[in-house]
Amino acid sequence: MISIPVLLLLIFAAGLLAFIAHHTIPVLRDAIVIIAITIAGYIVWQLPGQTSNVNFSIGMFAINWGVTEYSQLFGLLIAVLSFFALIYSSAFMANKERLGYFYMNFMFSIGAMFGIVYSQDLISLFFFWEIMTWSSFMLTIYCCEEAQSVGLKYFIFSAIGAYSILTAIVIIYSGLGSLQLANIFANFGTMSIAAKLAVVILLITGFGVKSAMMPLHVWAPDAYKMSPAPYTAIFSGALSKMGIFGIGLVLFKLAAGQGFYPYVQEILAWIGALTALFSTFYAIFQTDAKKLLAYSSIGQLGYIITGLAIGTPLSITAALFLTIMHGIFKSMLFLSVGAVYYRTGTTNMNEVSGLIRKMPYTFFTALFGIITVAGIPPLGGFAGKWMLYESLIQSNHYFLVIVIFFASTAAFLYLYRFIFSMFLGQEEKETENVKEAPLRMIVPMLILAVSTLVFGVFPGLLLKPISGAMGYLGNFQHAWETSVLFNNWGSEIDLNTIVTSIGGVFIIAWILITVKGYRKNRYVTTKDIHTSGEVPTGNENLTYAIDFYKPFERALGSVLKPSVDKLYNYTGKLLEDSFEHLRYVYTGNGQTYAMYVMGFLLILFLFSELIFGVAL
Amino acid sequence: MNFSPVHFIAVPLFAAFLIPIVGRFSKEAVKLIPGLVLLYLSYVAISLYPIALQKPIVEIIAGFKPPFGISLYFGPLAAFLVTMVMLIGLVIWLYSYKFIIREPLEKYYMLFMLVIAGATGIMITGDIFNMFVFLEITSIAAYSLTAFLRDKDGAEAAFKYLLIGSFSSTFYLLAVMLIYANTGTLNIADIAAKMQTVPNQPKIFIMILFLVGFGIESELFPLNGWAPDAYSQAPSPIGGVFGGIVVKASTYAMMRFAFVLFNFHSMFELILVLGVITMLIAEMSAMRQQQIKRMLAFSSIGQMGLIMIAFGVGTDASVRAALFQVFNHAVIKTLLFLAAGYLVFHSGSKKISALDGLGHNKPITSFFFALGALAIIGLPPFSGFWSKLYILTSVAKGGFLASVVLILFSGIIEAIYYLRVVGRLYFKKDVSQDNVRRTPISGLVAMGILAVVILYVGLYPHQIIDLIKPAAHDLVDKAAYIKYGLLH
Repeated sequence: MISIPVLLLLIFAAGLLAFIAHHTIPVLRDAIVIIAITIAGYIVWQLPGQTSNVNFSIGMFAINWGVTEYSQLFGLLIAVLSFFALIYSSAFMANKERLGYFYMNFMFSIGAMFGIVYSQDLISLFFFWEIMTWSSFMLTIYCCEEAQSVGLKYFIFSAIGAYSILTAIVIIYSGLGSLQLANIFANFGTMSIAAKLAVVILLITGFGVKSAMMPLHVWAPDAYKMSPAPYTAIFSGALSKMGIFGIGLVLFKLAAGQGFYPYVQEILAWIGALTALFSTFYAIFQTDAKKLLAYSSIGQLGYIITGLAIGTPLSITAALFLTIMHGIFKSMLFLSVGAVYYRTGTTNMNEVSGLIRKMPYTFFTALFGIITVAGIPPLGGFAGKWMLYESLIQSNHYFLVIVIFFASTAAFLYLYRFIFSMFLGQEEKETENVKEAPLRMIVPMLILAVSTLVFGVFPGLLLKPISGAMGYLGNFQHAWETSVLFNNWGSEIDLNTIVTSIGGVFIIAWILITVKGYRKNRYVTTKDIHTSGEVPTGNENLTYAIDFYKPFERALGSVLKPSVDKLYNYTGKLLEDSFEHLRYVYTGNGQTYAMYVMGFLLILFLFSELIFGVAL
Repeated sequence: MNFSPVHFIAVPLFAAFLIPIVGRFSKEAVKLIPGLVLLYLSYVAISLYPIALQKPIVEIIAGFKPPFGISLYFGPLAAFLVTMVMLIGLVIWLYSYKFIIREPLEKYYMLFMLVIAGATGIMITGDIFNMFVFLEITSIAAYSLTAFLRDKDGAEAAFKYLLIGSFSSTFYLLAVMLIYANTGTLNIADIAAKMQTVPNQPKIFIMILFLVGFGIESELFPLNGWAPDAYSQAPSPIGGVFGGIVVKASTYAMMRFAFVLFNFHSMFELILVLGVITMLIAEMSAMRQQQIKRMLAFSSIGQMGLIMIAFGVGTDASVRAALFQVFNHAVIKTLLFLAAGYLVFHSGSKKISALDGLGHNKPITSFFFALGALAIIGLPPFSGFWSKLYILTSVAKGGFLASVVLILFSGIIEAIYYLRVVGRLYFKKDVSQDNVRRTPISGLVAMGILAVVILYVGLYPHQIIDLIKPAAHDLVDKAAYIKYGLLH
């Protein structure tokens, strides 16, 4: 029973069953999806034991599904995140409307992602890619009427991406006559240079849309904001990784070794770095927590793309490590924002503050999340960032290091704002009755949070499967050990020491604070802050959370003003207006139509020599 | 029982003759007769199918052997198309059963039977003048059906259709005369055999006449001015009849002549270019339409452009892809027209803006529309995905990469305007007050059948491809057509 068709069938059938159950026996709905994803997780875990590929043909295309170490890495990520997201959503989505629709599309997009990673031919990859697109589109527009235009934008960009991939597929097919990945990887070099370059560019564009690579990212902030929190966790955590999955394949299995490879690498590395830089700036000025995280997500994917593009064993290790870590911590962060939304009904950072006492576990998750994003030891982000910097320096990309280091430092600004606005600061009257989120939401968040600590101390747990995946990508080898990072200068970082020392500092600090300051806590009111003796009037802004980074915004505003988003909107409007004019070709007048017919006939007669080569 | 392809023409013609007479006694019988006829003919088509696959059935009328008498040629292609027409016709009849409640019922069903007789006649006749007769039968029935609702707009649309359609008939007849003058025969297979001897000049002249004549009926730009009005003013099931049956018949004729009579390289290139232009202009025009049925009409024209592109590439693989798209378009567009029929009926307006929130009130009909929309955009796992994929791969293999890009570009436009409508259906506030009227069961069953076909073909495309392969071969293989058509 451990096989890919069973896995796919299970997930898709569970989606359909959940839909039916919602309309007949709603109690079963959540149970069905959770049981299905649990079994699916087990199957994914056991899959590498199944060596035989699944072959069949549809029409004239041979379909091939199989497991590689590379796909296994992503498959496990999808399974784990989906499991936690579904448990979370059984509480989060309770009593919402149209849950049949929600769970059906949720399961379909999970199934589609499994399909993508286990496809060994481009037809089934594209097939599942499109299912993933429409199911995630359905969930983007799920919430409300405002989501309609957001969803449409997401769909347009996805369609552009998907059709880029499709164009690449037909070019490959007309060149090689086969769409099996193995054949394509082996014979790609035999195609003409123009075709090869076109294929690589088209595929990177197509995959880049899903991984929100600038300038193709404009759909992401709004789409992430509009989708329900449990799905946003998957959207950003796993679905965007499908783009990374594809880019990895293109870079190392197709482009590598071609004449243009170094240029592709260099350009892509810079695109990734600039994506990281600009999205960090944009993230700083968001007032909506989910949009902030969305921009942060775009930035993190930028690091990953840079890591892949550099193409040294260390940088690929770093990229894949960050891929997994980003999947985990971005899910945590979106889930914790979802928990805040669940209790307070808003994700606007200006509206809630001081939740730390009300929602300690959510705060804990969010704190672990931002520490991981920032790449501070002892959590998992550190190892990834460290390896990325090191690989950039080793391969002499000093400017890239500066850009990425800058982006990474600037990220502290929005991370601090995120945690401060929502959890720290004054408690507000409106949030007086807020309670901690229910257990089914807290437990998944906490497990994910603890896992970042585990992977931070023992990165080797992840490096083992990653080095397997790299073996598939092209015999890249990088030494690793469970809790030690090596570098090429011969020095090594023992994470255990770091963890022990950091832990020691924390314990000492905790003891000191407890002993010294416990009794001295003084509760303050909103007005009891630095007003220099003056009593503030009611309409004065006393909350830091509002206009948090106003000075920065003033300084950077002009740089960030010319947005690509506006350019796209303008182009779209221009096109649509021109269509509006064009449609008056159909005047509605019978005489005009008769003229068209006669005119067309005349043209054919008069220019028959030109068209058919025979004069009349 | 001994079936013969003649039944496809004789039975509906006889039914059309019978319906007005029966109508004097029983309205219920008028409604039932077309259903029985179509059921019987579907059975005939399916039971003749395996025989036609082995060897084309050539039926001789009145004992005159070809090339002298009229003969019917029922090969794999005709079998494929006729079966499709009969099944689509059956679904449309089922839908019309409760949908067409306006008198005169017997005229509606009589004209419907005439369209079926004419369209199948075009597909199976082996005689070029006989085809003219069927073309006229189909066209005149189609003009009348356009004006069936007897309102001002319908009359205007029918008049435009008549005006442009008469150009088509004239050109066709002129071409037939020229062919007869040059070859001395009217049997298509015989003409095909003798066409080499005809000098180039009259040959091109004839070809242009055919191209324009059939181009009008197959909605090629700039000859398709009649189509948006006719589609949107005719009763909704007739939109399905136009898109799934009438247009497909003339497309068949155009392709048959293109491959068998002329086989000019430049003709295919011209069809390809016209297909691209048709598709682009139609999709762009569809984007800003205010009325749902006009939008569907433009989308239908766009799909015809896509089919023409695939035919225009002219390879074996691309003809297969085109036939696949012919099938998918017939099924999906019929579903869309049928669903739109009830959506318009329930919202009480033809405007797209009147559809807001109808998804809550009429969930099943809206669901069918949404499914059809996703399928026609070409999303997996629906049938439209495979035909689009086949078209793209075959067009790319033919070396027309620019066309691939343009097809995908128009695909994006298509996605935008369809998803806008679907979004309105489901995610706008419900404005309709129509809670009483429900979509009748017969209508739902009709749409359900088409939806199941879309899903089934989407999951098992090879079932259809197995049927299309011999059909495409039948179209491309000129020598076999001459050999069988002349009973050699």
